[in-house]
Amino acid sequence: MFFISRQKKIESAIHLYCEKVALCLDRAVDAVGTWFGSNDRRELHQRMNKVHQAESQADNIRRDIEVMLYSKSIFPESRGDILGLLEALDKVPNQTETVVRMLYIQHIHIPEAYRPGIIELLEVARRCTTALIDATGKLFSNFPAVGAAVGKVDQLESDADVLENTLIESVFASEMDGFDKIMLRDVIHRLAHICDRAETAADRISIIIAKRKI
Amino acid sequence: MYPLLNSAPLSGGLFLGWTLGANDAANCFGAAVAGHVVRFRQAALLCALGIIFGAVLQGEQGICTLSGLTDQTVATAVIVTVAAGITGVLMTALGIPISTSQAVVGAILGVGLALGRRDFDGLVKVVLCWLGTPLGAMLIAMLAYFPTGWLIERMRISILTRDKLLLSGLIIVGLYGSYALGANNVTNSTGVFSGLLPGVTDRTLALAGGVAMALGVLTFSKRVMISVGGRITPLDAYSAFISVLAMSITVHIFAFLGAPVSTSQGIVGAVLGIGMVRGVQSIQGRMLWHILLGWLLTPLLALMLAATAMAIYHGR
Repeated sequence: MFFISRQKKIESAIHLYCEKVALCLDRAVDAVGTWFGSNDRRELHQRMNKVHQAESQADNIRRDIEVMLYSKSIFPESRGDILGLLEALDKVPNQTETVVRMLYIQHIHIPEAYRPGIIELLEVARRCTTALIDATGKLFSNFPAVGAAVGKVDQLESDADVLENTLIESVFASEMDGFDKIMLRDVIHRLAHICDRAETAADRISIIIAKRKI
Repeated sequence: MYPLLNSAPLSGGLFLGWTLGANDAANCFGAAVAGHVVRFRQAALLCALGIIFGAVLQGEQGICTLSGLTDQTVATAVIVTVAAGITGVLMTALGIPISTSQAVVGAILGVGLALGRRDFDGLVKVVLCWLGTPLGAMLIAMLAYFPTGWLIERMRISILTRDKLLLSGLIIVGLYGSYALGANNVTNSTGVFSGLLPGVTDRTLALAGGVAMALGVLTFSKRVMISVGGRITPLDAYSAFISVLAMSITVHIFAFLGAPVSTSQGIVGAVLGIGMVRGVQSIQGRMLWHILLGWLLTPLLALMLAATAMAIYHGR
């Protein structure tokens, strides 16, 4: 019974961690969307802090899970797999926070023409993260269904790649200043990188499944 | 004091039982220990208990079979156990998987030949069982692999629950394997002394052999358990589970038949069976060669050692 309750605690903590990762993405979409609407840097700063809060809460939960995993109630092989997955998952909120912080700190100007594209890319990143969270949730509730959920992450990452290339191409085809082009390319690149991070975490899940494939 | 003196020749059999326990425990719990599912001490304790229970509850049947192969005297019984023990040590040194059963039967044959006996009808049954062990384990592993896997793959559970189920299963089949090992192999340890020692019943022989094997597990099995287990575990936890299960069922069936067989050959057969259902490329030619070599060399070497010892004994 002790082992079962300990396992439940770990699974609940992972569920909570995933919720914080999702919240981080939601707040990032909200921060960028609100900033584009108001052009108010103070507002962006406030919402950036909220993104940071969610990322920080996720970090704290992750550390608690790591401590729980070392309480000897989990078999070493499972422990190693979960630690690896958490490490990969953690890069998603980190990357999200980096993008929002970059927009604020570097005073990046995004022309009106590219704003819908940026929002769309951020939305794809959010959906990609949601799919990743779904796959992680299934890993701890319905193991056989994980494969399909991982496939969705891959699909969304491909969509993000296409969107990233289209946006960067249109930026460099425009009459913008060269320096602004490079700054905007960096923003787009880093946004798409959220999906890359999600895909890396999904790959981890695929490996966990492959190791147990019968 | 007298019963103790009467039982002194049994020490050869107890030594054989000790080496048997030290070597064969790995086939039952090696995968679980090497995979860090259970600590060595816990595994050794479980294995020792399983062996003693198996030996006491089901070991007598094999003792009857072995004692029926040839008539033994105390002197020939000592020669048989010592020759089998030396064979085991030599084969282990050569890195060839040993079967104590084959060594004991080979030694009995050697003694019989040295004494000019030609009646070995019971041996046919035992030799058939030797062939049946790897083949039976292979067949069981092949039959169990996909249906069991199909069931596990469809269980809507957490990965942690799945791992826990599988790895706990590894401990349970390890315990079952230990029981089967005790029930089947105790014969090799003390079976040849059946009816030779005044006041020592077959049940006592089974208990003494079981305790000797258990002591072998507790005192000298760690290295073999980790090295053999390491070779089984890389398959993955599920394959290790099926291998130990198939070996345990096979050895237990032969315990019911009263025929002592090898757990090492059982586990190798099971691993080969899994290799065959997963794809022939995972079968190692070297492994097959080692089995064949073990089959041929073990009884032959024991036979020669026992026959030589008998010749020396008669020539004194």
